[in-house]
Amino acid sequence: MKWAKAWRLSDIILIALIGIFFGAIFMGTNYVYDVLTAALAPVGLSGLANELLLGLWCMPGMLAGYVLRLKGSATLGELLAATVEMFFGGQWGISTLISGVTQGFGAELGYIVTRYKHYDWLGLTASVLTTTLVTFGWDLARNGYFKLQLWLLILYFVVRFCSMFLFGGVLTRLITDMLDRSHVLKSTHTNN
Amino acid sequence: MNPSIKLLLLFIIALEISFTTIISLNVALIVLAIAYLLIHHTKLRTIGWLLIVPLLPAIGLWSTQYINGSGNKTLMAWVLFSRIYTFVFTGATFTLTTNILQLADSLEQNWHLPAKFAYGVLAAYNLVPKIQHEVKIIRAAGLMRGQQLSFWSPKLYFKAVLVSINWSQNLAQAMVSHGFVEDAPRTHFRHCPLVWQDWAIFTVSIILMQVGAFLLPWH
Repeated sequence: MKWAKAWRLSDIILIALIGIFFGAIFMGTNYVYDVLTAALAPVGLSGLANELLLGLWCMPGMLAGYVLRLKGSATLGELLAATVEMFFGGQWGISTLISGVTQGFGAELGYIVTRYKHYDWLGLTASVLTTTLVTFGWDLARNGYFKLQLWLLILYFVVRFCSMFLFGGVLTRLITDMLDRSHVLKSTHTNN
Repeated sequence: MNPSIKLLLLFIIALEISFTTIISLNVALIVLAIAYLLIHHTKLRTIGWLLIVPLLPAIGLWSTQYINGSGNKTLMAWVLFSRIYTFVFTGATFTLTTNILQLADSLEQNWHLPAKFAYGVLAAYNLVPKIQHEVKIIRAAGLMRGQQLSFWSPKLYFKAVLVSINWSQNLAQAMVSHGFVEDAPRTHFRHCPLVWQDWAIFTVSIILMQVGAFLLPWH
């Protein structure tokens, strides 16, 4: 467990707290999801509700990867958020955990391909792209997307990427900008 | 049953049904899960609630395939409909009968997860009610200055991260001052045994799952 050595107790608590905080905020968005799903179900486009909001749900991973620049922080951040969500009775049961792993690993992959060096636009955009690809691959199976007509599949993919970019990219960037300006990250990272 | 073995089993089942398209298998799993819940004295109201919660996404997935699918649309629509319920009910057999403390104990004692992860996450988890309250405080503080902090406001998340940083350091200090030492060997007050019966149930269930997925002539 070499990777575990880099983690301090306060890092672990921090990543878990961020996940839970975001989860608590997202719970207030459930009504948006429900209304959209209900409105779009009659025309068979209810997946759009999921696609539009997915970027939001993937934020903890991306932000965790940015705040704690440790290997595995994005995956762990998202996984912990998912675990908590599962215990609080989300709509997706046990598959929440698998989604947590895929979303977290997707976000992590972006930091991996930029070698954990680019904590800027490049790293975040890479993370947005890999998260979109990995989660979409998973939904091909889990949500039966592979059986959908091609135009719908493309529409879903584009909407998902836009959502990822808006929430995971732009919004995360705005948050990290604020964190950078307030100089709080250095102290958590070096961990005194 | 040992919590981590149970979780592993459910995880594998969830993965497997994500790649199979057998409605009867999904239904069989749901029935088994409900039976398990009833044996563990789950209230009927809770089970009823579990039927309602996933209804909307299930209908959404159903109609998506039914209207915009390709190939055998009806089959796929019902597969996805039943799949969501399988996820929810198999998940409930874990979340309604096991708490996160037991899971953390098991992961630490049976799988040698470093204690700092097990207890660090538990420390944060126990703050859930306080966190929900804090989100309200942040929103109210914003409103006092005429700022409506919505889920797309970076400021809301920024403040949440600030609080997280603050609390994580306080909690870590509190734990250390109560004698928690990172990476030091620990003795355990609550024991979480991993016995051969756990492995037996696990193996039999996995074999049964394969029989259900590949051998039985479902329709």
